[in-house]
Amino acid sequence: MAKKIIAPKKTINKEIRLTSQPKIQTKKSSYHLGFLAIFFGIAFGFFLSKSRATDFDTILNMFLFTDFQLYGVIAVAIAVTALGLFLLHRNQKSIAKQIDQWENPVIDRKKMIGGFVFGIGWALAGICPGTAITQLGEGKWSAIFPIFGLIVGIFAYFKLMPEVKRKK
Amino acid sequence: MNLYQILFVQTWPWWAGGLGLGLTAVALAWVAGEKLGVSGCLSAACSVVLKKNKETFSSWPIWFLIGLPLGGFLANLGHWNWTWLYGQMDALSLGNFYLKGFFLFIGGALVGFGARWAGGCTSGHSILGIARGNKMSILVTVAFLVAGIVTAHFLYKVL
Repeated sequence: MAKKIIAPKKTINKEIRLTSQPKIQTKKSSYHLGFLAIFFGIAFGFFLSKSRATDFDTILNMFLFTDFQLYGVIAVAIAVTALGLFLLHRNQKSIAKQIDQWENPVIDRKKMIGGFVFGIGWALAGICPGTAITQLGEGKWSAIFPIFGLIVGIFAYFKLMPEVKRKK
Repeated sequence: MNLYQILFVQTWPWWAGGLGLGLTAVALAWVAGEKLGVSGCLSAACSVVLKKNKETFSSWPIWFLIGLPLGGFLANLGHWNWTWLYGQMDALSLGNFYLKGFFLFIGGALVGFGARWAGGCTSGHSILGIARGNKMSILVTVAFLVAGIVTAHFLYKVL
């Protein structure tokens, strides 16, 4: 689906780059959701907080093997999601069509480096993107530092590695 | 053990938290056909600023991000208060506020950069990606955990 819409050849380079980003084409359905997404955000933040994923010590103890809470949380979340998506895929034809359209990332070992970078930051700051933002609502002021860092990191990625983004 | 305590004060056991997170991912797919992923949402929010994308402030990733702190607020409604404390990070930074801010900023930047590089974060790759049986997600999750475990042991056991 993503590759069907290609900019006309006559357009200038800049426009080709803008239109060839996969997000524009694949996310057309997203505009139906709109502000209702706030409820999903609330639910996700609520459960993150309830499962103690927003606590620095819990994440640290997960890495130090003294607290297995988060391994359990992630394992159950994977199992529930897998079962739920399987049932959706089997019983809801329209949803199945959309799920099939989700892009599958190709195996690219360079991405593993990104994973290692992420892991180092995860242990250092004790956050993943979702929990940092949730912490702000929990009243943990310190979360503004990692959130600022997240934004800087994403901007840095856009600036430093545009070719990776275009290749996708 | 009343409902108020369970909903707004206490934290939940691992199976309950995981159940909730999984159901949220499934509901997002069911209602909107969207894939869950916080770093993708953040990236979309940054794209709005850079005008790299057609996303606007009314598109769903922005609203999802606004919802996250509200969820965190709700979950701790019973004993909510502001704090600058940050667990064992205070010990690592020797109680120095600016050092703590620096560490957290660097960590956050690494997470943001790495999440974009790897194409997702814990919610996108580790939960949704593995649930879909994606080999790349499994590889990336292993990378997350290995790097995290090594770093945590280095910072808190070796130093």
